[in-house]
Amino acid sequence: MFLLDAPLVARREVARGMFVLTFDAPPIAGSVRAGQFVNLGWSPGPLLRRPFSVYRTDGGRIEVILKAVGVGTAQLLAMTPSDVVSCLGPLGRGFDLQAGPKSVALVSGGLGVAPMPLAARDARAAGMRVTWVHGARTAEDLCSEADGDEVIWATDDGSRGISGTAVAAVPDSALVIACGPNRMLAAVASRWPDAQVAVETYMGCGTGVCLGCAVPLARGGYDRACKEGPVYRAADIEWSMLPSHLPYALGA
Amino acid sequence: MTLDMSVEVGGLRLRGPVLAASGTFGYGTEVPLLERRALGAMVSKGIFLRPRAGTPPPRIVETPSGMLNAIGLQGPGVDGLVRDYAPQWASWDFPVLVNINGETASEYGELAARLDGVPGIGGFEINISCPNVEQGGLYFGNDPRAAAAVTEAVRKMTDLPVWVKLTPMVTDIGVIARACEAAGADALCAVNTFVGMSMDLNARQPRLSFRTGGLSGPAIRPLAVHLAHQAARAVSIPVIGIGGIMRADDALEFLLAGCAAVQVGTATFVNPRAIAEVHDGIAAYLASNGFASLAELPRYLPRD
Repeated sequence: MFLLDAPLVARREVARGMFVLTFDAPPIAGSVRAGQFVNLGWSPGPLLRRPFSVYRTDGGRIEVILKAVGVGTAQLLAMTPSDVVSCLGPLGRGFDLQAGPKSVALVSGGLGVAPMPLAARDARAAGMRVTWVHGARTAEDLCSEADGDEVIWATDDGSRGISGTAVAAVPDSALVIACGPNRMLAAVASRWPDAQVAVETYMGCGTGVCLGCAVPLARGGYDRACKEGPVYRAADIEWSMLPSHLPYALGA
Repeated sequence: MTLDMSVEVGGLRLRGPVLAASGTFGYGTEVPLLERRALGAMVSKGIFLRPRAGTPPPRIVETPSGMLNAIGLQGPGVDGLVRDYAPQWASWDFPVLVNINGETASEYGELAARLDGVPGIGGFEINISCPNVEQGGLYFGNDPRAAAAVTEAVRKMTDLPVWVKLTPMVTDIGVIARACEAAGADALCAVNTFVGMSMDLNARQPRLSFRTGGLSGPAIRPLAVHLAHQAARAVSIPVIGIGGIMRADDALEFLLAGCAAVQVGTATFVNPRAIAEVHDGIAAYLASNGFASLAELPRYLPRD
């Protein structure tokens, strides 16, 4: 785990109001695994850091993806190159993408694209054929950078690709990996109990000490999204107890 | 010249005045980037006799300059603590105090009896101020007789240092402070979180599943400095200041207001190096103001 000052390098829009920010953070870029996250703080900014899945890496750079959903994200999006954030990471336990399965379906809803480029990278390296199913409300909200051996788009209003949810559009695959609103992940869990899902929770420290990011488990009790998660076997989560109304996936 | 940052607090000689506050440091076993040299002592996550699952999510919410939490004292119970954590603490070069909780005074006493003499346990911080449990907790903290009864129940069971963590949710903290002192406390910790509440405008219900939570962070600092000062004026045992300390200047306010030491909590969530930065900043302040030791720092404690 590293704590470093990371200068903003670039920003690009990848869907309506959805941006990718690139930061210089070589030690984190060199060690992050798909599904892991960084906890970003900046000044002046909110009191608590904000967790973001690492979207991509490029040499010594990491990328995160976000929308302006609150004051904090609006501040991040107002930054200009060379502005600096304090970056803590990589944090959490990522996806298990060891060689074995012949194919993987990456299922993302909205900002749930966040961990998928790294998942696609690691899945390909493990010899899997990657099908990426990406869904959003409407065409403008789809992330333009979805990438795989096959890409399936899904929109609620049918304006691009399949009309309906991303979950309904997933083809047969040896392995399913999903990220998006908790409602969507609950649907994933009922169809593929062994799917690996990255959940969204409020988070305090990101390092395991505050117990704020409790994830209710099907076997009873809670563990920590920041430490044992944010990736879980879908059927291991007690979905009825996980709040479904958070407005984002791993980011504020 | 080496600056002497050591301090004698409630039966313990500490190498420095900056302590890790309960609930913000876990059991000290997985704190990232920990600089032990700067840590005077650690207070463990609060423990009950039996394991507790804690409250359902959401458990935390950010508020202006602060955060509300309702973790509900999730923990492994005394058996898990003794088995999994105390053996590690025994080899550490700073003392670990266990934050103890109960639903009755006798449960606090039983917990102290179970932990007394276990290698690795350097003392107790009695939690009579947790706002996030249904039974006990805060109830003991806002009644001087109940506070004294809990303190006595623990005092009878151990010769280790006994500190009492006070709630700010009282009319006169001095009354509670004196009751704990008279019942045998070695030091007081002031203060725990304030009870707060925040509403979700979309769900139209409280943002925390527990409905209310404990407010911490810079939002409470001036309130906490005042309460710690009032407690320090009311008793002759040391008071450890807690409440929204983010940097050395904040800690110095508590020290100048009459505290012997401080605990840093929420700041650790934001900055894993906060404790070391506070420690080093206090040392720099003392040095640049011509003090050779922390003990030389004057305290503002008028006894009128």
